Amino acid sequence: MRTVLGALGVAGMGLGVWLLLGVRDPVDVAVWLAGAIVLHDGLIAPLVLAAGLFVGGLRARGVVRAVLIVAGALTMIALPPLLRPGAPANSSVLPLDYLRNWLWAMAALGAVAVGAGVLGWARGRGRR
Amino acid sequence: MDSHSKVPAGKGKGEAPGLKGRFLADKGKATALKEKAATLKEKAAALRGKLPALGDKLPVFRGRLHDKRTATVIGRWLGIAVLVCFVTGVISHYVQTPGGRLVDVLPSRPSWGYRLTQGLHIAAGIAAIPLLLAKLWTVYPRLFVWPALRSVRHALERLSVAVLVAAGVFQLFTGLLNTVQWYPWPFSFVPVHFAVAWLFVGALLVHLAVKLPEIRAHWRRRAPATLETGDAADRRSFVLAVAAAVGAVTLTTVGQSFTPLRKFDLFAPRHPDHGPQGLPVNRTAAAAGTSQVDVDDWRLEVLGPRPYRLSLAELRALPQYEAELPIACVEGWSKSARWRGVRVRDLVERAGAPASSRVRVTSLQEGGAYRVMEMGRRYTEDPLTLLALELNGEPLSPDHGFPARVIAPNRPGVWQTKWVAKVEAL
Repeated sequence: MRTVLGALGVAGMGLGVWLLLGVRDPVDVAVWLAGAIVLHDGLIAPLVLAAGLFVGGLRARGVVRAVLIVAGALTMIALPPLLRPGAPANSSVLPLDYLRNWLWAMAALGAVAVGAGVLGWARGRGRR
Repeated sequence: MDSHSKVPAGKGKGEAPGLKGRFLADKGKATALKEKAATLKEKAAALRGKLPALGDKLPVFRGRLHDKRTATVIGRWLGIAVLVCFVTGVISHYVQTPGGRLVDVLPSRPSWGYRLTQGLHIAAGIAAIPLLLAKLWTVYPRLFVWPALRSVRHALERLSVAVLVAAGVFQLFTGLLNTVQWYPWPFSFVPVHFAVAWLFVGALLVHLAVKLPEIRAHWRRRAPATLETGDAADRRSFVLAVAAAVGAVTLTTVGQSFTPLRKFDLFAPRHPDHGPQGLPVNRTAAAAGTSQVDVDDWRLEVLGPRPYRLSLAELRALPQYEAELPIACVEGWSKSARWRGVRVRDLVERAGAPASSRVRVTSLQEGGAYRVMEMGRRYTEDPLTLLALELNGEPLSPDHGFPARVIAPNRPGVWQTKWVAKVEAL
């Protein structure tokens, strides 16, 4: 089983490399692939870990962490429409007010978080 | 001859040593190398003695949930998302490739097939973003394992993980930016996204092969390997938060193709309600240079054994059929619409060619990769494949291909040729 999986994987990677050698500018692709590692391991992960240092000690750690994870994920998918330079091809491309939508989403998330926090606090008091 | 053998290795520059001499000189080199190797080994041993000490001095990750059970739980969801992306992506690649050996094999049904597979491709890719980040966060401490490379096997394993991480981040990043038509990189997106997909899935299979025993040991919640860490409640809260993030990014984007959820479409690059005649477009008439088609001059040319030309009025006089078919774009958005027009098979038969002919359609548009489209026989003979004249009860607007456009079931939007000038039975 492991041998078959491994062999298939090596074959797939081999095909990928062969396909990459056939594109016009494989060196550029290699640079961007390495850049992907640098972007994550050197920037995104340390930032998240730094946030974790602050969150780790909190009493409402679970709720705060969940809010940060959801807000981070939503922000990540909102960034391309927010930051894309140049005019879209036509009025049906990027037709929404993405900044307003992002603010709405963050506000809704904040409201849910406050609700969950209050609920947790009330429950904690009830138990005591 | 003998004098050569006395020349110390490295000093015989310029002189051409005889065969024997070279052999002896090499022998001398070999001894010197052996000595060097011995000293290196000693140094390595000394270093190894220091290594654990250095390892102890490095900071240690004391945070929780960087464990194998968490990696397994997040990893299997990520694995499913990646496999969905891969399979639907390969399907899309071959459906989008013009001509080729598959042209007569590609099926025209189910009519919503491409809409589903490409919608899944984009949705699974978006869902994979929080999953990939959570997975990488969980295993991040392993980036700093000490010693960094223990053996050749360990080095290869780490190399495969590097490829996996690079390809994963690269695919999600380039794919997401492609959906907003943003291309900051110097290479062309389609062939590179396709090639790196194979790299990604290959590295994933290698990773699964390497980690199989650990995945098995941590697969179940009550597995002994899982109980040791004692983080069950914290892990549940973390996994729930990641699940909430997956739900949030899906809910706020999937409305671009799953139209019942259009109200929650906050961040997708398209919205079902935005576009001429209530349907989004990619190439406008202005961009294609087809804004001003003179109806009196326009003729549809149909080529076959008995070629003919039809004016728009004559086309309208032929039997008209209705079809409810989606426009489904490779960028992930799709919307169904009501089309009305002439069956392509009727046009082809009228030209004396069989209804199961392969067909080439040419557009009025000036240039562009999709000006000429070829359609396999299974599309031509499908009664749902129309040369449409109307959209949702109105004549086509210029942006939707006035005076006539092709609409076929189970095909990507780029092959639903607009501003048709010529239909050729091959």
